[in-house]
Amino acid sequence: MLVLPPLLAGCATGPSLEDRGNVTAPPGDSHRLTVGSAGFTESDLLAQMYALLLSDAGYRTSLITVANRELYEPALESGQIDVAPEYAATFADWLNAKSRGPDAPPVGSPDLATTMRELRRLAAPRGLAVLDPGRAVDQNAFAVTASYARRHGLKTLTDLGKSGLKVRLAAGDECVERPYCAPGLRETYGIDITAVDPKGVGTTQAKRAVQSGSDQLVLTTTTDATLDAFGLVLLADDKKLQNADYIVPVVNRARAGGEGVAKALGKLNAVLTTADLAGLNQQVDSWRRLPEDVARSYLRDKGLLKG
Amino acid sequence: MTAPPDDCLARNEWICGEYLSTRREILLDAVLQHLELTALSVLVALAVALPLAVLARRRRWAAGPVLAVTTILYTIPSLAMFSLLLPVYGLSASLVVAGLVLYSLTLLVRNILAGLRAVPEEIRQAARGMGYGPVRLLLTVELPLAVPAAMAGLRIATVSAVSLLTVGAIVGFGGLGNLIYSGMNTYFKAQVLTASVLCVLIAVAADLLLLGAQRLMTPWTRAARG
Repeated sequence: MLVLPPLLAGCATGPSLEDRGNVTAPPGDSHRLTVGSAGFTESDLLAQMYALLLSDAGYRTSLITVANRELYEPALESGQIDVAPEYAATFADWLNAKSRGPDAPPVGSPDLATTMRELRRLAAPRGLAVLDPGRAVDQNAFAVTASYARRHGLKTLTDLGKSGLKVRLAAGDECVERPYCAPGLRETYGIDITAVDPKGVGTTQAKRAVQSGSDQLVLTTTTDATLDAFGLVLLADDKKLQNADYIVPVVNRARAGGEGVAKALGKLNAVLTTADLAGLNQQVDSWRRLPEDVARSYLRDKGLLKG
Repeated sequence: MTAPPDDCLARNEWICGEYLSTRREILLDAVLQHLELTALSVLVALAVALPLAVLARRRRWAAGPVLAVTTILYTIPSLAMFSLLLPVYGLSASLVVAGLVLYSLTLLVRNILAGLRAVPEEIRQAARGMGYGPVRLLLTVELPLAVPAAMAGLRIATVSAVSLLTVGAIVGFGGLGNLIYSGMNTYFKAQVLTASVLCVLIAVAADLLLLGAQRLMTPWTRAARG
């Protein structure tokens, strides 16, 4: 009795295999929407903001948190999740790897327009629509201590390359081979990286290593709000080495592809900046406020909620 | 940037009153979900295990396959189990319940079967001699005598379901596991500690409750001792 109903439901939802190539049905506008979160702070915050904006626009919303993209992306295709926050370049690469295998050449690029075109091309056959990106970007970024930057007159990664300084880079162990990381820093910026210290991306240990001077450069992300606390400053990626990981809402086209959802979520685009998002992350990660409260008070402050 | 508030949440203390007062509703919801899903899983597992155990007892050929299959199910790692069931159930509470049912089966079937097998042959003979048919023999003689062993299995299955349920957090239906999982990601000490303690309390309470139920169901064991 427990086995049968979900089995049947599982077969009845989502585009069937034959339809996946050409989703021609008009975009749907369901009034009950499920917003998905990938279970880390920024994703939680964005999902909460989406849910609040949607319920403010008259939708009935619920939230579901799952561990990772491998779990929520299929749910997004089948309509168990209707809306989820994503990162344009990363999601494009992920979808590309899913269709063409893990060795497929990456499609995400530093250029936003190209990335969005590729992303939409990959998402459409799966019944997914990608809404417009806003101003907030969560991409990889490199930081040094403020005193180090002052001493050597560094503002950008180009400055660091020209300075000829030898740097040890605290990052994840995959940094050694990823184009955006050590190889890119050497080739694009001419930075003399002596070693990669595998302390993880933006972890406390990685930042401590730079703070104490055992490493000079740390890989983190643009929405990291704890840099101040460690006395670190970001160096600008002035030659656009990093992919365009703009934050985009991804929706199930058949259930949430209509004007209403795009309009409700679009309100956030003109408002939410990378720095705002970093501040919100900090309130949740460092001050341990509830993501829902943080999201609501932010939207209220910006006048995005009527209720 | 505004200054951080100075409270035990921002200081990330293990024991934090503010955590309890600001998240009371969230904690209550998580506890209720935990109780609900655990109870449902164990009850469904019991309903499936009982006929399987009886079948294994009555038909000698069935014992091997029944025990083999339930034991193999038990060896599947929990993360893999949920991933395997995902295409069938989607992201839902039934996914987690189904996983826990499969895990509970081996503990329950083995223990109920052990209880049935431990019923002395003389007693069965005596009941048959008094004209008991197979159904009446099962319901009024064999099953009551199997209760102590079956209850031992039920207690283990329940306590392990309470802890295994936390893995359901990967699909958002993990009860207190949802809080433990998100707390671990952000190194949120008060949340991890509070949710873990609640989880232990649920397990202990469920175990004591079942022990009490077993006492009530088997008055003869106390009489024999006293």
